[in-house]
Amino acid sequence: MIKKTFIIFLTVIYMLPVFWSVVSSFKSMSEIYNYPPTIFPSKISLDGYLRIFKDYNFITYLNNTLFVAVIATVITVLVCVMTGYGLAKGTFPGKQMLNNVMLTTLFITAQIMMVPLFIVIKKLGLINSLWGLIIPAIYTPTGTFTAIQYMKDIPNELLESAKIDGANEWQIFWKIVMPLSKPLIAALAIFSFTWRWNDFILPLIVINDSKLYTIQLALSSLQGQYTIPWNAIMAFSTLAIIPTLIIFLLFQKLFMRGLMAGGLKY
Amino acid sequence: MRNKKLSIVKNRFVFVIPGLIFFVTFSLIPIIAVFVMGFTSWDLLHPIKFVGLRNFRNMLHDKWFWNSILVSFKFMGISVPLIFFLSLALAIALYKEDRFSKIFRAFFYWPYMIPAVVGGTMWKWLLSYDTGLLNYILSKLGLEPVSWLEESTNALISVSLAQVWILSGFMMMIFITGLQNIPLEYQEAAVVDGANKWQVFWYVVFPLLKNTNLLVLIVSIAYCFRSFTLIYIMTTGGPGYATTVAPLYVYQRAFTEYRIGYASALSAVVLAIALVIALTVLRVRKSD
Repeated sequence: MIKKTFIIFLTVIYMLPVFWSVVSSFKSMSEIYNYPPTIFPSKISLDGYLRIFKDYNFITYLNNTLFVAVIATVITVLVCVMTGYGLAKGTFPGKQMLNNVMLTTLFITAQIMMVPLFIVIKKLGLINSLWGLIIPAIYTPTGTFTAIQYMKDIPNELLESAKIDGANEWQIFWKIVMPLSKPLIAALAIFSFTWRWNDFILPLIVINDSKLYTIQLALSSLQGQYTIPWNAIMAFSTLAIIPTLIIFLLFQKLFMRGLMAGGLKY
Repeated sequence: MRNKKLSIVKNRFVFVIPGLIFFVTFSLIPIIAVFVMGFTSWDLLHPIKFVGLRNFRNMLHDKWFWNSILVSFKFMGISVPLIFFLSLALAIALYKEDRFSKIFRAFFYWPYMIPAVVGGTMWKWLLSYDTGLLNYILSKLGLEPVSWLEESTNALISVSLAQVWILSGFMMMIFITGLQNIPLEYQEAAVVDGANKWQVFWYVVFPLLKNTNLLVLIVSIAYCFRSFTLIYIMTTGGPGYATTVAPLYVYQRAFTEYRIGYASALSAVVLAIALVIALTVLRVRKSD
């Protein structure tokens, strides 16, 4: 009983920021600045939502974000699966060392590498391009680590017998390894999409042109403008969490368990 | 030549090549760039100029840089212990595989999935001085409103608490895995010996969680040390430099002052701290 009260009390606190934002997103422009504030909107207003579509180009940001997230996910998954396969089942010299070097970067993330990452991206001419949000993030230590762990469990005999049957390395990869990796591919795709959708660091350093803003970058830069009403910002925030909320509800088990098995977030 | 080509296919090195190219370009070269660029001066407009040790000398006198490292440690000092104990408490309450636990775990884990920009925006709105729900509740209780984000100490506490909100559900899951791995017989044996619930926890369960405890602690430190987005959104480092953590300070030197060379030199220090944390994590994982 004490336990349940404690949990429910904490749940209320944890959900407070989300609750306050969602109810605020349905308030009219005058009501949102009322003092003292009303808890629930006195009249449900879609003003905030209409504004972000009409005045604040939500659709453009959505398109940019989806473009980046989808393309990055496809490439990331393919590269991760290949790298994982090579590092788990390869017989080339220096494999173990490469394994270690690649995994040491697990904790050297974009937040810490912002400046040098910017220099490399600039030298490659990817500043102010959506490709500058896709290409630098393709290699992920977490994804690679997850793929290695998964590939280790594929029995060697399976690969050997295919070889005896006359399959070459590419055929083995496409016809045996890929089909066996469906759960891995699904997991990598879900994670990669979520990371790209939520990402803020790369857009912040790569994109200047507001036509190329992603949803997260747009939400951040809108708060710098004094003219934008907070009901629109809250509507923006509410819409920005919906895709990942759906993904989370659908694949809850994967997130809550998969992360443990696969190491830690990029 | 033909033979060589065949052998990188045969030993499967060829599969690693695409990943390796991206790894070298966007992980390895940036690490090297930190150290090379640290000896230069560059404002993005003029050509890159070699300046020797100047950046590192300037760094020694850069009082706000060292302050930002101190702020980083204060930030970790508030959030890490709270994350640790809160996620442990949540895990103990929710580690059983029943319906109640499964539903409520999701509520605590969810903030970790919310984009940090949105999470930060939501907290800022909740803590707003005159339109925030929190001050409204305080006023209903007959208390004075609090400047959650406008006063130095409060602002640091506020961003730390938002960090706890993001991370504790994730750490709870690590603890739950740890708790579920402890064989039930150990606890039963202690109960048979007459131990009460708290004694079972402190003398049997907690010591058995040693590796999990260490993992949660170090991973929390690693996450909190690199926290950027949340603070950028909630306070942009203010008021003054009160919540300017090290990654944020480096960002401002590079992207608001365009001192790329100097910011690279600062990155080297931040990177060194992150590397120490990373190597400790890998150690702990290995001994696991």
